[in-house]
Amino acid sequence: MGTGTLTPSVAADAALPADTAVDIRDVRRSFAGREVLRGIDLHLRAGEFVALLGRSGSGKSTLLRALAGLDDGAEGTILVPERRSVVFQDPRLLPWADVLENVTLGQSGRDATTRGRDALNEVGLADHERAWPKTLSGGEAQRASLARALVREPQLLLLDEPFGALDALTRIRMHALVEELCQRHDPAVLLVTHDVDEAVLLADRVLVLTDGLISLEVEIDIERPRARSHARFLDLRARLLAELGVEDH
Amino acid sequence: MTVLDEPAATSDPARVERSVPPSAATSTARQGPALISLTTATPASEQRRRRVPRGIERLIGVVILFAGWELAARVGWLSPKTLAGPSTVLTAGWDLARDGTLGSAMWASVQRVLWGLGIGVPAGTVLALLAGLTRVGDDLVDANVQMLRFVPIIALQPLLILWLGIGESAKVGLIVLGVAFPLYVNTLAAIRSINPGYHELAKVVGLGRGAHLRRVVLPGAFPGFIVGLRLSTAVAWLLLVFAEQMNANSGLGYLMIRAQTFFQSDVIVVCLVIYAVLGLVSDALVRFTERTLLQWEPGR
Repeated sequence: MGTGTLTPSVAADAALPADTAVDIRDVRRSFAGREVLRGIDLHLRAGEFVALLGRSGSGKSTLLRALAGLDDGAEGTILVPERRSVVFQDPRLLPWADVLENVTLGQSGRDATTRGRDALNEVGLADHERAWPKTLSGGEAQRASLARALVREPQLLLLDEPFGALDALTRIRMHALVEELCQRHDPAVLLVTHDVDEAVLLADRVLVLTDGLISLEVEIDIERPRARSHARFLDLRARLLAELGVEDH
Repeated sequence: MTVLDEPAATSDPARVERSVPPSAATSTARQGPALISLTTATPASEQRRRRVPRGIERLIGVVILFAGWELAARVGWLSPKTLAGPSTVLTAGWDLARDGTLGSAMWASVQRVLWGLGIGVPAGTVLALLAGLTRVGDDLVDANVQMLRFVPIIALQPLLILWLGIGESAKVGLIVLGVAFPLYVNTLAAIRSINPGYHELAKVVGLGRGAHLRRVVLPGAFPGFIVGLRLSTAVAWLLLVFAEQMNANSGLGYLMIRAQTFFQSDVIVVCLVIYAVLGLVSDALVRFTERTLLQWEPGR
């Protein structure tokens, strides 16, 4: 079986809990005979923020693409909600459309523009709606792409290393923004990253993907807003880094 | 704040500054390199203002050329059969314009180019879209176009005359073919070079096939289309000259061939000037379209 849309009846048939946002079973994916995903099980509750950590080539982006419906070569059972949004590492704004047109891309209906403006307002780009994407800074462009993801009120938000190309200061601001927006819109979130601090800072639960299998799962039981200097933060950070094969001194 | 004269062990900025003796950097007698000044007494912008504007400077060469040409014609070094002088050319142009000959010849020529572009541009674009967007189109169209592309277009004239007769259709047909190829090649290359991420995005935000074409493919291919259009326009005028000089009873080429028969070098030069002006105007139109529609591209 391949990708399916998660509806209440589907959830009931599969005997899933009512608050299920994502349910995937035994997902496998090979490229040219090399198995990148070797049987992944993953369950996300509605509103849950899960970070997926892994080294380059661990298959984390492959898994995200399968959930986004961008990979029809994945095997196994994938149940996802109908309204999904993806934020890519590059902002992927169409350069020939202004910021507001980019945000409302694919949205129809009379209120699309209004909702687009609201979304831009939320990410602090209200006065940039007529700007061309190429005139935006990296952080602004990524905020616009976040607005585009939020405008369709996703039930599942997929973040594919969205802060990877940003400078350190912008990244800190984006972390706070994403945390705030996710609390307000309350989608289930899957954040793919290789930044351990980011994962511990934002996620309710962190998974580590090693060689195509989930090798570690950690609940992040630190109160929000989280401080990087918190003892528990440092403890979890060291544990996750060790799982990724990095000794932290 | 703690006591200042304690050994520096914390990161208190005030203390760190004090821990470095203020004269440490300058106390050693190290010799720096010789320094040169990059600012001149009078700024470059002021120096320029004293001279004649650049545009007028460049005109001087043109003026000398025309003056020499006129002089050569007046003195008799150039016979009117070889090359009439500028004033004679102007007079000839004025006469031709006044009796309507020039106007109708120009209109006949412009019409052929417009028909050629009007058919060739959509044809090339549609074929490029077919080849760029569908597997079947790629298989059926692209291989054939790539093969035919290497036939010199002018060599098709005899065949076109066999098919379409010696009237307008053969001339327009030649221009259509010449226009369609550069347009096809450039538009297809542009379609294929659209960032694949944009196609993924279209899928993620749920664009249908029509919206995908309208919002992603067409605007993405537009810069390449414009490059093709500029090439096509140049080709159209080139082929027009060729077609009109082969066999025509109207148009600028016809006017030139007739002038050649009567040794009217002034009329020939008039036609050359008109061709140049028409080429320039059509290129300016394309560039204007480009600037208007590609505002999103920075640096235009």
